[in-house]
Amino acid sequence: MAGIKLSAVKKIYPGAAEPAVKGVDLDIQDGEFVVLVGPSGCGKSTLLRMIAGLETVSDGEIAIGDKVVNQMEPAERDIAMVFQNYALYPHMSVRQNMSYGLKNRKMPKGEIARRIDEAAAVLEITPYLDRKPRALSGGQRQRVAMGRAIVRDPAAFLFDEPLSNLDAKLRLHMRGEIKQLHQRLKTTSVYVTHDQLEAMTLADRLVVLNHGRIEQVGRPLDLYRRPASTFVAGFLGAPAMNLIDAEVTGGALMLAGAALARGLQAEAGRVTAGIRPEALRLRAAPGGNFRLDYVEELGGSRIVHGHIGAQRIIAQTDLAQELSAEMQAELPLEELHLFHATEGHRLSMGLNQPATADPQLVGA
Amino acid sequence: MQTKRTTFRSWWLPYLLVAPQLAITLVFFIWPAGQAVYQSFLREDPFGLSTTWVGLRNYIRLFDSAEYLASFETTVIFTVCTASLSMGLSLLLAVAVDRMIRTASVYTTLVVWPYAVAPAIAGILWWFMFNPSFGILTYVLEMVGYDWNHRLNGEDAMTLVVLASAWKQISYNFLFFVAGLQSIPMSLREAAAIDGAGPVKRFFTVVFPLLSPTTFFLLVVNINYTMFDTFSTIDASTAGGPGQATTILVYKVYEDGVKGLNLGSSAAQSVILMSIVIALTFIQFRFIERRVQY
Ligand SMILES: Nc1ncnc2c1ncn2[C@@H]1O[C@H](COP(=O)(O)OP(=O)(O)OP(=O)(O)O)[C@@H](O)[C@H]1O
Ligand SMILES: [Mg+2]
Repeated sequence: MAGIKLSAVKKIYPGAAEPAVKGVDLDIQDGEFVVLVGPSGCGKSTLLRMIAGLETVSDGEIAIGDKVVNQMEPAERDIAMVFQNYALYPHMSVRQNMSYGLKNRKMPKGEIARRIDEAAAVLEITPYLDRKPRALSGGQRQRVAMGRAIVRDPAAFLFDEPLSNLDAKLRLHMRGEIKQLHQRLKTTSVYVTHDQLEAMTLADRLVVLNHGRIEQVGRPLDLYRRPASTFVAGFLGAPAMNLIDAEVTGGALMLAGAALARGLQAEAGRVTAGIRPEALRLRAAPGGNFRLDYVEELGGSRIVHGHIGAQRIIAQTDLAQELSAEMQAELPLEELHLFHATEGHRLSMGLNQPATADPQLVGA
Repeated sequence: MQTKRTTFRSWWLPYLLVAPQLAITLVFFIWPAGQAVYQSFLREDPFGLSTTWVGLRNYIRLFDSAEYLASFETTVIFTVCTASLSMGLSLLLAVAVDRMIRTASVYTTLVVWPYAVAPAIAGILWWFMFNPSFGILTYVLEMVGYDWNHRLNGEDAMTLVVLASAWKQISYNFLFFVAGLQSIPMSLREAAAIDGAGPVKRFFTVVFPLLSPTTFFLLVVNINYTMFDTFSTIDASTAGGPGQATTILVYKVYEDGVKGLNLGSSAAQSVILMSIVIALTFIQFRFIERRVQY
């Protein structure tokens, strides 16, 4: 087991106009489960493949444990990888698939058998050990791919969207299994996904990437509560955070000519206001600022689509919420996020109160 | 494997569509084959004046003939050498191209050229290069101290026809190997690299086994090619000589039939040849194909 340290890591693909990874610094602790998340094409896979040694590092340094691995072959890095398409050897049985990496490392036969039996028992694939991958379901293949990684007992696991080929239900199940497996093995893991829910639930630490750069690193809840930019704010959480154009004047957040919140110690000027759908409180009130457009029923809660002035806003409410065409929207001040109108970074509002403070409801 | 089913609206359309192919097969394959079988039971004098029914005697005589049995041996040597040389070389080229597939369009085109060359021209091309009096390769060989003469030396002649035939087939094999290699997902090789297999081990334990359907298909095609299609290459370069050194079965059919005008024996030889190919193909598909499935 070992930590992984990335220092100013860059990747420029030959012939590409723009670097795919533009200088990433990241210190992954021993035993930590780090999730790289971001939209398609942001460089997640590239970063992971550089750690694995499947892509060369254009600039910067990658260290696994205390060894710089830039020049090492993938096999020498003591990592195991789970691929999106599982990459099981189709001509080998499950057992052979799992033993291949161990045989190549000249491990004694008895030890190989012991490890395979143990991993197969944990992953519940013992009945399939002598089958070829083609005779397995998607979920079983996924387990075999995990098994192949586990038996190696490597310094780190690398996962590249391992669950994205599974259906929603199985994905949820395997997500839980991966989490349990990590709690049990405590092996350093780097996990790539573009599914923010998967990212939030699995990560000890979340790394949000955008255009080859790290937008923010931190514990999932910290990122959720204090996103450093409009990008992170909009990326984490479903339904996504409302990001609306607003103005700060005289300590009040003005939206469509009315104050949505007061008592801000933010500089006057145009801002982007971030409001989580579940933070917005709605109250049926004729002449209120919120105009209802339509409602989506989720079963346990509902999503209310509407607008304030010209800005579309969504709110998530419980089923007890009374709905009417005109409602008053209110926002606890500490649930408000302010971002720079053009640059998108988080602005200080001069709020120092902890999240547990009494909600300070502000009406228009 | 999934098969696509097309439904035709009228029952006669499918028959109409396969009719031209059926007609060609019937006229150019089934009918002559039947003629050959019939003729193999006859003895006919060179002028076609008298024909006698001799039963199996043409066949019996063939298997008593040392010359015919020698031709069998020549064919085996020739087929094994040509098929392994052309498949080996094209696999090597395909692996090289697969590594830098970006530049492959130019490279691929170059390697495919020989396939556009008619077999007889290929034979003459190599015959020229190895011509004992003015061939460029003979000249080079002489410089390194080898006295090349395929007109006198049977082994030289065999080398010449093997080279010419294999060269002709490389492009075809190459295309299939490249396609086969390209269809192996990159992630499998990457997984093997992470699993600690070096490039050579990776090739033999992962890439080559996954390529086996392609290899098997090419094996069938190549064996059929060397047994039949090499006729014009041999005719243009060595004409079966010196002596009988490069007289493979199909060439002997021609020699005995067209040159020697021994039609009965020649027909019997064609029938034997035909049965060999049918048997080989059957064995290959029946027994080997099952094992190359993964
Ligand atoms: N082999 C390559 N050659 C050139 N450019 C590449 C190569 N691989 C990836 N890229 C580019 O690098 C950028 C990052 O790609 P990468 O595969 O890392 O994205 P990703 O974050 O994993 O996306 P996804 O979620 O779709 O898998 C993309 O713009 C992509 O086009
Ligand atoms: Mg990716």
